[in-house]
Amino acid sequence: MSEHHLSIAITGAGGAGVISCGELLLQAWAREGGRGLLRKAYGPQIRGGESAALLKLTDSERYTAAGHYDVVVALDWDNFSRFEDEIGLKPESWVLCDEGQELPAAVAAAKPHLVHLPFAELAAACHPQGRINMLALGVLGRLLGLPTASMVELALQKLANKPEAYRDAATACIEHGAAREPACRLPVPALGAAGSWYLSGNQAAGLGALESGIRFVAAYPITPASDVLEWMAGGLEQVGGQLLQAEDELAAINMTIGAAFGGVPAFTATSGPGLALMTESIGLAIASETPVTIFNVMRGGPSTGIPTKSEQSDLNIALYGLHGDAPHLVLAPLDIADCVFTTGWAVQLAQRLQTPAIVLSDQFIGQSTAIVSEPRRCEPFPPEPAVEAEATDAGGGEYLRYRLTDDGVSGVAYPGDRNRRFTADGLEHSEKGTPSARQSDHQAQLAKRQNKLTDFNYGDDWAAVSGEGQVGLVSFGSSSAAVAEAAERLAQQGVSTRVVSLRLLAPLQSAALAAALEGCSLAVVIEQNHSRQLFHYLRGQMDFQQPLHSYAMAGPVPLAPENIAQAVVEVMES
Amino acid sequence: MMQAIPLKARDFKSDVKPIWCPGCGHFSVLNAITKAMAALGIDKDDTVLVSGIGCSSRLPAYVDSYGFHGVHGRGLAIAQGLKVARPDLTVLALGGDGDGFSIGGNHFIHACRRNVNMTYIAMDNEVYGMTKGQASPTTPMDWDHSKLTPHGPGVRPFKPAALALASGAPWIGRGYSGNPNQIAKLIAEAVEFPGFSFLHVMSQCITFCPEQTDWKAVVSEMDGPPLADADAAAKQFLHEDGFQTGLLYREERPTWPPVGETAVDETALASLAASFSV
Amino acid sequence: MNKQMALFLAHSAELETEAQERYEELAESMREHRNIPVADFFRRMVDEAGRHLEEVAELAADMTLPDLKAWEFDWPDAEAPETTSYEALHYRMSLRQAMQLALDNERAARAYYSDYADNCEDVETAEVARSFAAEESSHVAELERLMAEQPADHPHLWEEDDDPHMPE
Repeated sequence: MSEHHLSIAITGAGGAGVISCGELLLQAWAREGGRGLLRKAYGPQIRGGESAALLKLTDSERYTAAGHYDVVVALDWDNFSRFEDEIGLKPESWVLCDEGQELPAAVAAAKPHLVHLPFAELAAACHPQGRINMLALGVLGRLLGLPTASMVELALQKLANKPEAYRDAATACIEHGAAREPACRLPVPALGAAGSWYLSGNQAAGLGALESGIRFVAAYPITPASDVLEWMAGGLEQVGGQLLQAEDELAAINMTIGAAFGGVPAFTATSGPGLALMTESIGLAIASETPVTIFNVMRGGPSTGIPTKSEQSDLNIALYGLHGDAPHLVLAPLDIADCVFTTGWAVQLAQRLQTPAIVLSDQFIGQSTAIVSEPRRCEPFPPEPAVEAEATDAGGGEYLRYRLTDDGVSGVAYPGDRNRRFTADGLEHSEKGTPSARQSDHQAQLAKRQNKLTDFNYGDDWAAVSGEGQVGLVSFGSSSAAVAEAAERLAQQGVSTRVVSLRLLAPLQSAALAAALEGCSLAVVIEQNHSRQLFHYLRGQMDFQQPLHSYAMAGPVPLAPENIAQAVVEVMES
Repeated sequence: MMQAIPLKARDFKSDVKPIWCPGCGHFSVLNAITKAMAALGIDKDDTVLVSGIGCSSRLPAYVDSYGFHGVHGRGLAIAQGLKVARPDLTVLALGGDGDGFSIGGNHFIHACRRNVNMTYIAMDNEVYGMTKGQASPTTPMDWDHSKLTPHGPGVRPFKPAALALASGAPWIGRGYSGNPNQIAKLIAEAVEFPGFSFLHVMSQCITFCPEQTDWKAVVSEMDGPPLADADAAAKQFLHEDGFQTGLLYREERPTWPPVGETAVDETALASLAASFSV
Repeated sequence: MNKQMALFLAHSAELETEAQERYEELAESMREHRNIPVADFFRRMVDEAGRHLEEVAELAADMTLPDLKAWEFDWPDAEAPETTSYEALHYRMSLRQAMQLALDNERAARAYYSDYADNCEDVETAEVARSFAAEESSHVAELERLMAEQPADHPHLWEEDDDPHMPE
């Protein structure tokens, strides 16, 4: 039952178009029912720099970064060293490249099979405007057995706005590449069921947000979150909502608070530096009990860090970054498809519990594109409870915006509602909302804001749990795929595990987590950061019945399942 | 059906009592807001007052409408988000000179530029009152009453009207706390103006700047209609003493977001989802 | 209908309403700042203005007064004559100082009514204005009497030992 996959890296520079080549290849593969992942790696240049399309075609939907590549198509070796860490080669790997160029040392050292293909010469021979990426697409398509017509059709769709000659050239190059004898023959992963989707995690998050009712977005651009916002700009236009481009993240979060206060579900997306700027006002959303969803696509930090690479190092700021006692929701989608569910869930939880939700995605799942089965959706919650009847009559009971209730959730009124006027406040306040520095009000409101989160029944979606072994593997968010693959490797070595992938980080479902690990003799907390943020959080929140160990590895290279498996074995042997 | 009795200014006051010092100019702005609301016949339930932090930002709680008392400097951002999401509401943002011109300066610039249809009232007393009287961006260079800047801030105060004009504000007015009726008139005009209206109110601080009681002697009213020419307005705002009151500048230009037909397609969500289907 | 009278009574009603509401606010503000004697004094002035407002209302009972906006009234100064400027206050002001403000108000009201009477072409309205001026005169006299009973103010009345507070 071991997974079979085929990994292909396409590298190039100077506008060669390797990303387009990768996208078209994956799309054509999707049409055949295949499953696969496309990661994109870029140099620091905005245009013309080196880039790499990193594909992993699989027979499952558990998408991890490839540990090494079966095929590397190097349209260009310039600055290949930037990708050396990510594009590992083995002697069984195949490298397709032009003859004239010298191999980078790391490539030569791996001693892969070399196939020389004069890409530029062949492309020029096909058409005066022939392009090497389209030639490579044809070559790779042939390798996978993809229909040439399908690749041509997809390419022409993509190039719909380009001049005719340019489009003709693409067709000619794809056809020529596909007509050539395959450079190598490799086993291709089995195809999956039809009816698949092709999308990135950032797009999936945008869809989940809109489907759960988001109709207002405030946006300040930041890598790698901008594409969530861009996708939503188009989406909101269609479903009837507003997107406001803010002057900075301070404005963005406050604009969402304003819209949410007006009763319009509101959302913003950002990354670490932006999240840091937003934290003061996330506290305001907590104190004023205004629901907003902050979708944070994590990148390497601190400071500007590594904007184009993934890391799970914003967990601490998401959990603890706020001043005062500030309970709120923190969630993390487990993979690209799960971005739909988890974002939708976060939006609805925020609305129901009248508090901000921070969703921790990351560059890896955010900017990678995958072929997935139709994603699971978050079912709409039942309608919000109505404001107490006695409070709605003008002369009757007073409307108390922050009324103390059994479940801590107060009936909410929005501007325009008759006779429920109140002033929302970030100052501590009475039930009515009047500023108060009284001990009794502070204690009561702190408890209310905490209890409404801790007492809520989150059901079974707090984590994905699988396996019944005695070794617990606990992770959160996008690490879950690498951990699942590690678990499979361990199983092959006779180590049976129990994998717990946390989707709801705050409030931590401690009892459920303890129950999920019941009977485990040890547990390893796995995460992609340097300071073991999840490990320390879990240890601070609860007592474990088994020794807890840590495997933490910062980015920018994705977590490697084999390293995780090895670390677990070492823990067991220690 | 009973005929609705028009509300008086006092009907727009909440039962929360102001904490402002007796003698504070902000009472005057509160008075003016309630008078303007009464004159305009605005529905309390459809009005929202949004503020940041500072003495003046306490104002929303004193008015019987919906309100939002936010964090320091960000009232304008909350107000714009609210108005864009809920264009049916009347939205007023309020705050002081520190809140609006220092910590919230970026939002001020961009609110002027963006031209969302709302009103911003900056209550300028040239001082941070809630933190014991430090110099603000509008404090005179040589004002040496603060322990934080014992020799005066030593920095030229900036000119809110000039900044608003340069940032694109289409409606700029100025009031003085000694004349709440004029402020009321200006607020009524500001609210009715289709766009972002910036009302700068010189509002005295009796506690930290008692010398501001002298303002009474130097304020004047602008003669004639507001300027409509940005060149002339720029010249005036850069060189004036800052005590001329009235509607100073007015030009109409398109507001944001543009009013368009937002025919909501019920099937749009399904189509968006379907766009991902292979 | 006597238009002049209606216009005049509209002004009188506004004058007394403004006076009353302002005194009420000042009383509340002084109470909030724990200057109880002054708060109580302003509270008394609320009642005074209220009584005069009732008289005006009685006179206007059968008339339709013009519906003017706050800024459409014709006052000699920025605000209605009997309205205490918000800015004239201090939380440590003495009763005597508060009385002085009230006295200034009453004098201003008296001057307003008496000027109105002098310049009014309608005899009936002039007569009413003059009677209002007379009434304000009696308030002036009463306040002067009260003030005479007040001790002189301490020269450093507004000083205090503590620094201002920092509420936010």
